[in-house]
Amino acid sequence: MAAVDSSVNPLAITGLGVVSSIGVGREAWILALKDCEKARARAFRGAPTVLSAEAAPGAIAAEVWDFDASLYLGNKGLRNFDRLTRFLIVAGKLALEDAGLKKDGEQRAIRAERIGVCSATAYGSLDSITELLKVSELEDPRYVNPARFPNTVINSAAAYLSIWEDLRAPNTTVVDGNCGALDAILTCETHLYNTRADVFLVGGGEILSDPLYVAFKKLGILAEADAAFAPGLPESRGMRLGEGAVYLCVERSADARRRGAEMRAEIVGYGNAFEPPSSEAVLVHASKSAIQRAIQMALQDASLDRTQVDIACLSANGIAQFDRPEREALAEIFGPDIAIAVPKSIYGETLGASGAFGIAAVLSWFEGVPAAPLICGAVPKHPLRALVVTVGFYGNASAVVLSRGPIVRKRGEA
Amino acid sequence: MTRVYVTGLGVVSSLGFGRENFFRSILESKSGLSPIESFDTEKLGRSIGGEVKGFKPRDFLTAAESRRMGRCSAYAVAASRMAVEDAKLFPQQLQSERVSVIVGTTMGEGDVITELEQAWIHKGVDAVETAKLPRYGTTLLPIHIARALGARGMVQTLPAACAAGNYAISFAADLIRAGRADVVITGASEILQQLQFAGFVRLGAMAPERCQPFDKNRKGMIIGEGAGILVIESEKHALKRDAKLLAEVAGCGLACDAHHITRPHPEGTGSLYAMTQAILSSGIKPEEVDFINAHGTGTHSNDKIESYIIHQIFGDRKVPVSSLKSMLGHCMGAASALEAVACVMTVETGIYTPTLGYETPDPECDINLVADKPVEGKAEIVLNNSLAFGGYDATVTFAKPGRLPEWRPSTLQ
Repeated sequence: MAAVDSSVNPLAITGLGVVSSIGVGREAWILALKDCEKARARAFRGAPTVLSAEAAPGAIAAEVWDFDASLYLGNKGLRNFDRLTRFLIVAGKLALEDAGLKKDGEQRAIRAERIGVCSATAYGSLDSITELLKVSELEDPRYVNPARFPNTVINSAAAYLSIWEDLRAPNTTVVDGNCGALDAILTCETHLYNTRADVFLVGGGEILSDPLYVAFKKLGILAEADAAFAPGLPESRGMRLGEGAVYLCVERSADARRRGAEMRAEIVGYGNAFEPPSSEAVLVHASKSAIQRAIQMALQDASLDRTQVDIACLSANGIAQFDRPEREALAEIFGPDIAIAVPKSIYGETLGASGAFGIAAVLSWFEGVPAAPLICGAVPKHPLRALVVTVGFYGNASAVVLSRGPIVRKRGEA
Repeated sequence: MTRVYVTGLGVVSSLGFGRENFFRSILESKSGLSPIESFDTEKLGRSIGGEVKGFKPRDFLTAAESRRMGRCSAYAVAASRMAVEDAKLFPQQLQSERVSVIVGTTMGEGDVITELEQAWIHKGVDAVETAKLPRYGTTLLPIHIARALGARGMVQTLPAACAAGNYAISFAADLIRAGRADVVITGASEILQQLQFAGFVRLGAMAPERCQPFDKNRKGMIIGEGAGILVIESEKHALKRDAKLLAEVAGCGLACDAHHITRPHPEGTGSLYAMTQAILSSGIKPEEVDFINAHGTGTHSNDKIESYIIHQIFGDRKVPVSSLKSMLGHCMGAASALEAVACVMTVETGIYTPTLGYETPDPECDINLVADKPVEGKAEIVLNNSLAFGGYDATVTFAKPGRLPEWRPSTLQ
């Protein structure tokens, strides 16, 4: 097991903003999760409108249906924002409002200079790159729209969030495939405990697009038509893509307590690892060893032993090659009885944002709403500790341990 | 809190491969700018770039590596191999969970996605080669490096636009200080590609022939490419293996303008904060700074604002300032990483790097520019500035080993 010389400093989650295929906003998210089957049906309700019939005939994917950013942001200034930018700004705004840090567009409690962004995506600008490449290839490179060109740069969506909400502390985009959003937590912790800011919007976003769909389809890993989509289970025959954005408001726990913020959970442990494949010829692979190391580092970081974790929220997305080693790693660390949730069965694979979606699912467990179908074990009525795992496509893995905030425990719910 | 040192440097650039060739070209005031050969620029009205010429992947990569990665990753892996060789790190010292890879970029494997999309656009979706799909992904840069070196710690890409190198170096140093790594391979990589080139032309930001930072008649930037990689390690780790300490990674300052996606804040608020933070978090005062490697893009707005910020911090004290973009072009994500390599070598040698093309002083850029030729001088504390797309501001301080006071974390708020 990897040596960790220092633990993650305690971080409080004080706000949640969600743009998802099952609802927009914290309350809508939690309400939808009260009925997982209904939520899944809503997420995969029909042919995705953001994918073209030509590129993605018969596609099944979890779209953020009927998303209209102007409902949250007004009509001005949105014209040149791409879909990801709109997702991020709405999710960020909702998270700030949920944490009581903004109301009616005004900063409250904390100055703009002390709020930053740590945002993950895996393929953030892909649709905008495609859009402009089509112009360049089919028309003329001189016709590339300069107002749309910034969208081809992967940090632009998060940068627009800082501009829109006037957040002047560091803005960091993190890319680590499916592990990005969990890794963004370490980035945020680093900045917070170097006093570069007091609050961060942490999370990320991903969108459905033709090139993304075509790529995964050609790689043969999508569960289409009648193919079984059952993340974490052996009968699954592939993954289904999803989209959306999640931001958490994260601050130093002591500061959150001081300002009387409601702590929805604390982040108490973090771990990550990378293992190369055994063959030089292989690129895409999952490493059980890396998953185990990441989980063990997170537990060690949190000073918890395996019996103190009430639920594990998996990265499992329906691809057997990745789900199997994750299940095996969990079983070897926790034994057969740990409660295992597979939230991607509801809203699909959201890639770089998936770790943040996993945390959002855990927050609903902490609020008493069973957030995802369990494929193993049982969750106590009032779970106290949760593990969120993400598994990358190239041998990387990350894990985070969450604990219910002390305010919740004071109410006697623990 | 542990100190963090640079112990190895690797470079792929239009000014040469390897740190010695790179720095020699700089000291000879050579320009790396030349007509672009890798794509057609005919329709764009601009044709000059800081293009890397003569890079043969197989000189640095195995056959399997060459097959599985794009040019951006190839630059990064090549520079990483040079850096670990320079650091005299052996494979067994790198094959560890305590060795991480944190790198920056702006567009990553832009040529891979362009090739895939061109096939799709012109020949249909069936023409998209499945085997090439996994080559695309900004995620892959550190993965390829980690695999090449055997590193098993954190792998992460920080795509912080033109500040990506400084963001990566800052976070890499943070990881070591927090005890999460002993060694980090860090820096950034970028490639020239047509869409990016066309976009900057359309933004009206590109100069026709020369990049003339801080000159009154400057006409904009010229974009470039390359990779700059640094090996940084904890004091304990470096001393234990008797490594040569090239420079200390001191403080860093990060901020966001939150003003405009492509233009700096008119009063440079974010950058002012970042530079100030980089100085104070190093435990020093502004008067101790010996040299500044400016962001210095050669655009009217950047150079004017950056000069204003330097004046705000240093007052009438004329700290020597230079911009390597006059020679390398603006290497986007790799810019501040390549410039970090030069900063470390300035600390090592006591030679300030020059700025080419400076002919007419601009009253709006009232700075002490090191023009045309290198200058010898005190170089114990050097700042590396970057003011990026999206309003990202990042400054990193490099110091001569043993020069800084006991480390103290920033308390600036």
